[in-house]
Amino acid sequence: MFTAIGNTAIVKTTSYKVVLPFYLYAAVAFLVATILLSVSAGDFTKHYFHPHTLAITHIMALGWGTMIILGASHQLVPVLIEGSLYSNTLAYISFISAAVGIPLLAYGFYVFNMGWPAQCGGLLVISAIVAYLLNLSISMAKSKHENVHAFFIFTAALWLLTTAAVGLLLVCNFTDSLLPENSLDYLPLHAHLGIVGWFLLLVTGIGSRLIPMFLISKYNNTTQLWWIYGLINGGLLSFIFLFLYTNSRVLLTFPLMAVTVAILLFGHFCYMAYRQRIRKKVDEQMKVSLLSVSMMLLPVIFLVITGVLLLVSASESVSLVTAYGFIIFFGWITAIILGMTFKTLPFIVWNKVYHHSNGKAKTPNPKDLFSNVIFKWMSAAYISGFVFFTAGILLQDTVVLQSAAVLLSVTSLLYNWNVIKLLTYKPVSV
Amino acid sequence: MNVITNNGIKCTVALASLQNVVDPEIGLNIVDLGLIYQLDFDESEKKIYCTMTLTTQFCPMGESITNAAKETLNGSFPDYETVLELTFDPPWIHEMISEEGHEFLNEK
Repeated sequence: MFTAIGNTAIVKTTSYKVVLPFYLYAAVAFLVATILLSVSAGDFTKHYFHPHTLAITHIMALGWGTMIILGASHQLVPVLIEGSLYSNTLAYISFISAAVGIPLLAYGFYVFNMGWPAQCGGLLVISAIVAYLLNLSISMAKSKHENVHAFFIFTAALWLLTTAAVGLLLVCNFTDSLLPENSLDYLPLHAHLGIVGWFLLLVTGIGSRLIPMFLISKYNNTTQLWWIYGLINGGLLSFIFLFLYTNSRVLLTFPLMAVTVAILLFGHFCYMAYRQRIRKKVDEQMKVSLLSVSMMLLPVIFLVITGVLLLVSASESVSLVTAYGFIIFFGWITAIILGMTFKTLPFIVWNKVYHHSNGKAKTPNPKDLFSNVIFKWMSAAYISGFVFFTAGILLQDTVVLQSAAVLLSVTSLLYNWNVIKLLTYKPVSV
Repeated sequence: MNVITNNGIKCTVALASLQNVVDPEIGLNIVDLGLIYQLDFDESEKKIYCTMTLTTQFCPMGESITNAAKETLNGSFPDYETVLELTFDPPWIHEMISEEGHEFLNEK
């Protein structure tokens, strides 16, 4: 027989009012970043520690990547931690602090004013993360369930806080000499805390929940996910130790190997989920998301080449390092967001619009709420823009860079078009 | 999975109406998904006892699907009151999808 537990068992979904501002902000930030990329394309032939490059990187990392992940994770908290979100107010505080802080920080970098704009911006971003972390911690404490995805998301948020704190320290170090070395010397530490600790851990944690869910796959392997969790965190912790306390470049291959194995295991996880899917047809959004998983290996390849060149010639290839950063923020992070936005956002809008209509009248499916044709054009513009811009950095060719930046701007315009189409959707009965 | 019932005829009518309730992401109705476990009809109290599940306890569409199921049964049997009970014991597994459901997913 069945054990009925009543309607109280349904975990309340997070209100769309909390989530949608994050999505809208991220879409605008992506547009701003690609416009700045078009204006400053030539700067990508110079050293990566360039004000415009730093500004674009932070708009991409915080305004685009982090804001949409924060929005999505507020929405997905019930699915990921198996409990309801604790506080909408904390979510609003998190949004407002980040929404004000990110432009201040980006402006500070763009004009290279490391005084009050960058410092206040950094403080506001940290406040936003603290509010998010607090909300997440209490939500998790109240949930009766524990699962591997909750550990991924919580640890990733802790790494995000660490990244932001180190970042603020580096900003303050420009004006107050707080650290023994120049801020530039600590840049690899700050960057990898964010890339590996926040983005990689979170994307693998959320992706391992959502990809099988959207593919309707039978595959699940918690042990494999714990290995991924251990390898990413172990790799990052050993990197921090080696970076701060040794000068050995050879030893740095160990954290690189740990993270590479984690990425390969995650790739295997997604492949098995794909193989064991029940729904045979895979939609365009899932194809782009799965492409982003394979794109995770690109930065590893670039890092290996950079490392080998560094060992052989003892000098850093600036264009390779710039390309490495570009293929992370405009590569797999952007690709998975482009795909997953149009898997998660239509759901949120559908729930808002058709919540009470299911079963009463025929309603459109969530995938019918945006234009798949625009999505396909956006994907084509994105892939070509991404490939050409990477080539432009490596070839140090301004014309290629500018042309590719235009393609990426087209990508962000088409992305915004579809997002606005979703956000302004009016109900129709089919 | 076969739906347990104490009234085969009314159950057939109820399931036909519940086929209008669709999981929006999958695009498949909740009957062929295998979410309905039991449908009992209490003629003296004029009540329908519907025991169902969700694909996951934390399904973001859970509230929408259960409300729709309840309202659909109320619409089909206006003289009855529907008591909907949710269970995750046993939890939903892919094997509960009907043959028609599998055919639909293979086509989609």
